[in-house]
Amino acid sequence: MFELFQYDFMRNALLAATAISIFSPLLGVFLVLRRQSLMSDTLSHVSLAGVAFGVLLSWNPTITTLITVVIAAVFLEYLRTIYHNYMEIATAILMSAGLAIALLILNSSKGATSVSLEQYLFGSIITISLSQVIMLFVLAAVVLLGFILFLRPLYVMTFDEDTAFVDGLPVRWISIAFNIVTGIAIALMIPAAGALLVSAIMVLPASIAMRLGKSFKAVLFISVIVSFIGLNAGLIASYYMDAPASAAITLIFIVLFLVTSSLKRLIRA
Amino acid sequence: MRYINVENLTFYYDREPVLENISYHVDSGEFVTLTGENGAAKSTLIKTTLGILKPKKGKITISSKNNRGEKLRIAYLPQQVASFNAGFPSSVHEFVMSGRYPRQGWFKKMGAHDLEHVKAALDSVGMWDYRDKRIGELSGGQKQRIAIARMFASDPDLFILDEPTTGMDDVSSSDFYQLMHHAAHKHGKAVLMVTHDPEEVKDFADRNIHLLKDKNGKFACFDLHTDRDRVLQEAQEELEEKANV
Repeated sequence: MFELFQYDFMRNALLAATAISIFSPLLGVFLVLRRQSLMSDTLSHVSLAGVAFGVLLSWNPTITTLITVVIAAVFLEYLRTIYHNYMEIATAILMSAGLAIALLILNSSKGATSVSLEQYLFGSIITISLSQVIMLFVLAAVVLLGFILFLRPLYVMTFDEDTAFVDGLPVRWISIAFNIVTGIAIALMIPAAGALLVSAIMVLPASIAMRLGKSFKAVLFISVIVSFIGLNAGLIASYYMDAPASAAITLIFIVLFLVTSSLKRLIRA
Repeated sequence: MRYINVENLTFYYDREPVLENISYHVDSGEFVTLTGENGAAKSTLIKTTLGILKPKKGKITISSKNNRGEKLRIAYLPQQVASFNAGFPSSVHEFVMSGRYPRQGWFKKMGAHDLEHVKAALDSVGMWDYRDKRIGELSGGQKQRIAIARMFASDPDLFILDEPTTGMDDVSSSDFYQLMHHAAHKHGKAVLMVTHDPEEVKDFADRNIHLLKDKNGKFACFDLHTDRDRVLQEAQEELEEKANV
């Protein structure tokens, strides 16, 4: 059982999973409650364009991805306030644009770069380096501290933005800051989770916790526990089954979601 | 003391004027109702007054101090708050406690005094026994009650309420109006309340502000102190005359 801990790549992967399990479900709960679940999908697709810009400019793809995703996150907040009723269309357009730009640039740079779209589409948590693990833990610490400090403003804002505004909160700035942090989190998770699965890792633990928790704080706590279990169990399962890690993790979350939903219905009946 | 003073407010929605040259005021110690036909932009007027929506023109002044010289506290109860975010994963107690945050500080620990306020607020709407329930498990009327409790817990100086008794039975609604009347007359609070049924509130409210629509679909605002029907008739005639000119 413990042989997997002998390998550096597995130790890094388990550490990365632990760091991700701290910040991604916390952000996920607020994304779901603010009806912005699609935002994580959009930003993850836009991040591919960020990778492509890195290739085009011969810069570190992590830097260009961060810049691109943060700009897109702020732009999405602008669209949300201006075109509240047509937000889904704007989000879908941005998502397709991100993927199209990435395909176009990476296709034209074929041969000139070792970067393939596939590695960012699907990600690989077992190729995560120690420096990436450290970055994930720094982000986890920032998000955790941010949530401890700003839990009350975020709670009121998530319930009703108009009430939060009258209560004296800088609603717009908090929204922008939340989107930026979400964008950074997605950009850093892409190499591990992949653009196609990053939103599942953010949203599914939140959805499971929302079915189980009776209070807001309980939901946040449960989401972190569910995320920790799902990410690490998926990783260990993928090691023994020789399966892609992000797929195993996502399927474990879906099974957990189905089990908790069924159990809740049974208890109600 | 004047808590709200609105002068010549004009609001456009998608380049169309919705409210034009609206002026009204609300003083401390007053219970004022805001009425108008369906689509009369009553909620828009409230949101513009609060600064949630930006007016095209006009001057809106909300006092920064209450009648004791302290910071003016405002509580806003949006329309159909009960139907909003039905699946919000929060306990009733957590939700009502959030009403204390703006008063006690967003980062300070809540004390026994705050818990007492929360208990009193929940007791006043008969929802203390439901404090550990999830909001999503409550009926529409119960959700409305806890929204009112949250507002009471914040102990505001100025209540701005958009159809607050939606989903509540007649007795509970009447009790609520009595409570608002008491808050204004005994404690010097100010109340501005949107209602679709001014008759129901007329025994409790001091004044009624009515939004009227002219031929061109623009709204004007009239203060109806006494003899409501006569003033309303004259106002309607005056408005028609202006529209014809």
